[in-house]
Amino acid sequence: MAALSTTRLIILASATLYREAWCALLSSQPYIRLVGASHDVAGIGTFLVPSQPTAILIDLPAASPHMAYELRAATSDCGLLFLVESYNLTEIVALLQAGATGCISRDDSMSDLTRAIIAVGRGEIVLPTTIAGQVLSSLANAARALAALTNSQPASDNLVEGLSERETHILSLLGQGLTNKDIAQTLIISVRTVEAHLRSIYDKLGVRSRTEAALWAAKYGYTEQPTSESKTRDR
Amino acid sequence: MSAELLRPRTPVAVLGTLAEFHREPIPYNLKTLVRLVTDLNPDLLCLDITRDQWRRRDFEELPPEYREALLPLADQTDIVVVPIGGEQPAQEPTAAGWKGRVIAGLRSWLAYLQRTSPGPAAINQGVRHHVADTLYSTINVLAGRIAQQARKAHTSHLIQQVVEVAHRDPGCRILVVVNVRYCHLIRPALKKYPEIEVVPYTDL
Repeated sequence: MAALSTTRLIILASATLYREAWCALLSSQPYIRLVGASHDVAGIGTFLVPSQPTAILIDLPAASPHMAYELRAATSDCGLLFLVESYNLTEIVALLQAGATGCISRDDSMSDLTRAIIAVGRGEIVLPTTIAGQVLSSLANAARALAALTNSQPASDNLVEGLSERETHILSLLGQGLTNKDIAQTLIISVRTVEAHLRSIYDKLGVRSRTEAALWAAKYGYTEQPTSESKTRDR
Repeated sequence: MSAELLRPRTPVAVLGTLAEFHREPIPYNLKTLVRLVTDLNPDLLCLDITRDQWRRRDFEELPPEYREALLPLADQTDIVVVPIGGEQPAQEPTAAGWKGRVIAGLRSWLAYLQRTSPGPAAINQGVRHHVADTLYSTINVLAGRIAQQARKAHTSHLIQQVVEVAHRDPGCRILVVVNVRYCHLIRPALKKYPEIEVVPYTDL
């Protein structure tokens, strides 16, 4: 039997009732371990454990970039998942530039939420596929965002020739903002296999992270739309 | 060393259910099944549903084990669903006359087995497992040649789909959850493939 990997989860919600509701709802979800809840950023620190991937679900009346900056500074490598009222391109780009790793709408389902928590917990960007391409293009075109997110120059165009057909496909799905699970379900392979392909893609592109690879894909137009079949499957 | 030997073997476990009785009450809490599969934590979960049902997310006619336990679990986790059913959902074998009445009687025994199962593991071990298999085999004989051919074709399709996915992603951990009637056929058939290692579900 495989060792279970669970995602540590911290709730940040200013309203007591919401905080307790999230705890009640998410504490029984498989592969998620609720480790604490706080009403402010300062309270988060007590739940952090160095080198243990953690997701923070942020449910605040107004999700501001300032809050994302503050959280990013306080939580270094945690996944920051913001609950937003709707998928507004400008708002989401601002949040991501400030350090958020994902956004999820209050209209999304419980399944979407739990999958998003697991994904941001392991460092993935979580965006709705409907606007992911636009978000990533905006980020890739913004010099400041690139500078903030990458310390290295993206690989040149011709390096893509080194990618296999499967890797090119995965890169394009990544560029559309799909999570590892979405990519795995689209290709009907395991998430671990997708992760292995991504590591190979990072090496070949000379990038260091999923974010850089996604930005690379957006910048160089590797954002083909999924088929209607995969869209239906992977909403 | 040949490439074949270097290739990782793909562990596959087959878990049987009495899933066809989706209008029968299930005595155990489906959370038990969710917990079982959560603990097994497979990479890929092969289910006997058609690609069309999966594409349309049309789960209305699926048994509760799928509809209320396994599909929501997969939706919320990293478990990837592999629809391995054929073009059409498998039809229940039927017959006219006295054979039909005997089949109905045998099915009531199967329903009884489901009603009295203490948990999802019960139908995969011990007397209950063999009784269920025998009842299904008898029903199949009574239903005649066409039904037998249909069952054989459906089983072959299930096996082929599992083999394909094992080839596509060698080394990943595959859990197949199908009606218990297919278990005795799928396991030995998969064992013939050297790249597949059929394991008890507890050892996945």
